Amino acid sequence: MKNILIICLVALLFGCKQTEYKALIVTGQNNAHAWEESHPILKKIIENTGLFQVDVAISPKKGENMSTFSPEFKKYDVVVMDYDGDMWAPDTRKNFEQYVKNGGGVIVYHAANNPFPEWKEYNKITGLGGWGNRNEQSGPYLRWVDGAPKKMYNPGPGGSHGDRHAYVLTTRNEEHPIMKGFPKRWRHVRDELYAELRGPAENVEVLATAYSAPKTRGTGFHEPMLFTVKYGKGRVFHTTLGHVGVDDFIATQCAGFIYTLQRGAEWAASGKVTQPVPEDMPNVAIPLLLPGFKQYTLEKLFALARKYEVGKSEKPLSLIAERIRKTKGDTGKIKEFEKQIIKLLEDEKATTASKNYFCRELSWMGSQQAVPSLEKLAKNPATKEMAEYALFRLKK
Amino acid sequence: MKSNRREFLKKGMWAAASAVVLPNIIPSSALGMGNSVAPNSRLTMGIIGAGGMGNANMGHFLNDKRIQITSVCDVDERNAKRAIDRIDKKYGSSGVNGYGDFREMLNNEKLDTTMMALPDHWHSIIAVSVAKKGIHIYGEKPLARSVYEGKKIVEAVKKNNVTWQTGSWQRSVGHFHKAVSLVRNGLIGKVNYVEVGLPDGNATIGTPPIKNVPKGVDWDMWLGPAPKVPFRGILHFHWRWIMDYSGGQLTDWAGHHIDIAHWGLNMENQGPKTIEGKGVYPVDGIYDVPVEYDFMCEYDNGVRLRVANQQTYHESRQGKEWGGRQGNRLGMGAVWYGENGWIQVNRHGIWASNPELLKTPIESLDTKIYHSTDHWKNFVDCIQDNKKTIAPAEVAHRSVSVALLGEIAMLTGQKINWDYQKEEIVGNEMASRLLMRPMRNPWAIPTI
Repeated sequence: MKNILIICLVALLFGCKQTEYKALIVTGQNNAHAWEESHPILKKIIENTGLFQVDVAISPKKGENMSTFSPEFKKYDVVVMDYDGDMWAPDTRKNFEQYVKNGGGVIVYHAANNPFPEWKEYNKITGLGGWGNRNEQSGPYLRWVDGAPKKMYNPGPGGSHGDRHAYVLTTRNEEHPIMKGFPKRWRHVRDELYAELRGPAENVEVLATAYSAPKTRGTGFHEPMLFTVKYGKGRVFHTTLGHVGVDDFIATQCAGFIYTLQRGAEWAASGKVTQPVPEDMPNVAIPLLLPGFKQYTLEKLFALARKYEVGKSEKPLSLIAERIRKTKGDTGKIKEFEKQIIKLLEDEKATTASKNYFCRELSWMGSQQAVPSLEKLAKNPATKEMAEYALFRLKK
Repeated sequence: MKSNRREFLKKGMWAAASAVVLPNIIPSSALGMGNSVAPNSRLTMGIIGAGGMGNANMGHFLNDKRIQITSVCDVDERNAKRAIDRIDKKYGSSGVNGYGDFREMLNNEKLDTTMMALPDHWHSIIAVSVAKKGIHIYGEKPLARSVYEGKKIVEAVKKNNVTWQTGSWQRSVGHFHKAVSLVRNGLIGKVNYVEVGLPDGNATIGTPPIKNVPKGVDWDMWLGPAPKVPFRGILHFHWRWIMDYSGGQLTDWAGHHIDIAHWGLNMENQGPKTIEGKGVYPVDGIYDVPVEYDFMCEYDNGVRLRVANQQTYHESRQGKEWGGRQGNRLGMGAVWYGENGWIQVNRHGIWASNPELLKTPIESLDTKIYHSTDHWKNFVDCIQDNKKTIAPAEVAHRSVSVALLGEIAMLTGQKINWDYQKEEIVGNEMASRLLMRPMRNPWAIPTI
């Protein structure tokens, strides 16, 4: 029944296009997180790529009999671990190891690096883990020091996070398909900053780090936040981001979390990323939230822009301005933006505030095409000043 | 004259403790300074803008016996009153008039000089108005909010033959003079590359709610030529993060380290040929200046000058190189890279690839660089001697133009070709429009 539902939904969303890959979210227990809330979000984010059909495997409750819990990993291209709970049955473990060894993809999401400290192969798959009494026996710490990853073998506990805050991630591998188009530094939404993770750390490629600052009760090291692990023929994408508690999922709305999960899922499934580089990238100034768990289309941005009121979020307007900037002066593309803006100026339903905002933008990137609409606005006291602002520059 | 005065008194010129005293003749009670200069032969000064920088500058002028501060103008009555109290205390008298509108001040006071410390969007209108009256100006950096406005200030200063000193005070500090002297005398050989590091942008604050304008503040006048917006508690200092009033740290500090870089290159009256770079803009909230910026300028003679915020240098060098050091100095100041090494200078000191260079006695060098040890005194000296100051308007204009062109390159996402002689952007109509900022009615730069 569930599968049918999913197929219907996918069909609705993406026409009749067959999805290319199948993903399985494994969840059902999580010691410190609301798995009931997180897995639908992960599902949505991955489905929003248009590439995946996503199933969910829910384990028995904590303390219940785990022996029958045995998802058919090999039916899938990527297994998304959203699980921190009781140990799996030996066969299940073996199946999972085999699945990855034979080339299966894995996503290790946030607290999925917490469980199974004693299951050696699992820790090789995740690369690094935390809590569960991990210590120097579990393997080294992995930090970013002097421009390169560094394993540190000093004794100490594995896994901690300081105060939650909106920290900055530094992209350490701009060439990796998952990170394509990401700026060097970008700000994440308020979240836990995992630190002091320990593990075998074999075949790990660090994609992004964050500075765990002592002032937020951190370690003073650049800790790995996003990385990949090679295990057999399998590809693992490990994201430490995205804490979800009860009614607390803002960390998963971060554009950086969403894009890397989407790109990471495709990479884990296939070894490549065909998704286009997202238009609206997060930057270091303030976090970029995507409440729809996918990037905005230009139509959506203009639809939101039309409703803008003074004092409300300027995000849709600024994102349009940023996209105009990104054309780097391509006159053809700028003309397209101008057309959309003129349409908004002429739209009776668009707010005065949105029109006033776009007058500034038009004042430099507009053309004579915009003048008649601006002259109309100049006759209305509510838009007169900013219309004249634009006309002043366009008529010079 | 008198009716005029009564007129604005009625209109709401708020009287300071002592509006009774007309300063046309400076009272003998103002002699609390040792009688060394007869008060009526002192240069009168009007303070325009009595906030943080205005007060700092005022402190210097209060200690100069050749200056008599006679009036204070600020759109925030609280600022002006505080300044007047301070002046009265210093002079041991009360004879200073307060104004909320610079036009009334200029109409009613007999001023020889002014000190201007205002948000950038106000610079051009007031500077030109003051210069047209033949009044000398100590004006804060950056010179202006747009290239066009800067040009107008330079023109008005020149035409009216007034003395202008820009608040680029680093020029009058010993180790900056030393750095420039060493570079200009070729101690690191021919310089082909310069890096200028300026502060990181301010964190954003979102969009604060609309607030009541504090009593005594003329908000509409504060906005002046900038677009009308409701008051959200941004009044002093933090206007710096809003593009209608400022270009952020970039344009603010252009008047310091870009200025020093140009000085060392002996290219103070030039400008780059091309400008290209990237800024990081907040996508939400009222603060809209870039928090990070990084652009490269290339000059006619092949010299390249990179301007970026500290963190950008820090990241791109993994905390290692910039002039060879680490720590909090990293990324601030100017570094000239010559054929034979580098010299770096910032507020913390001066460094060189070859530390021996720093022991060179400046007196022994052939090319003598303009030397001033007191930036404010230099202004008054130059008025008296009818000489050029150490930071004249045309030089300040070229310093901030680099930042303003960088701003345009970042805002448009385009490489800018600049004709520094004609001061025109070549072959890019869209970018050219950003050389000028529209002004809200009825404000305009007065005809020069």
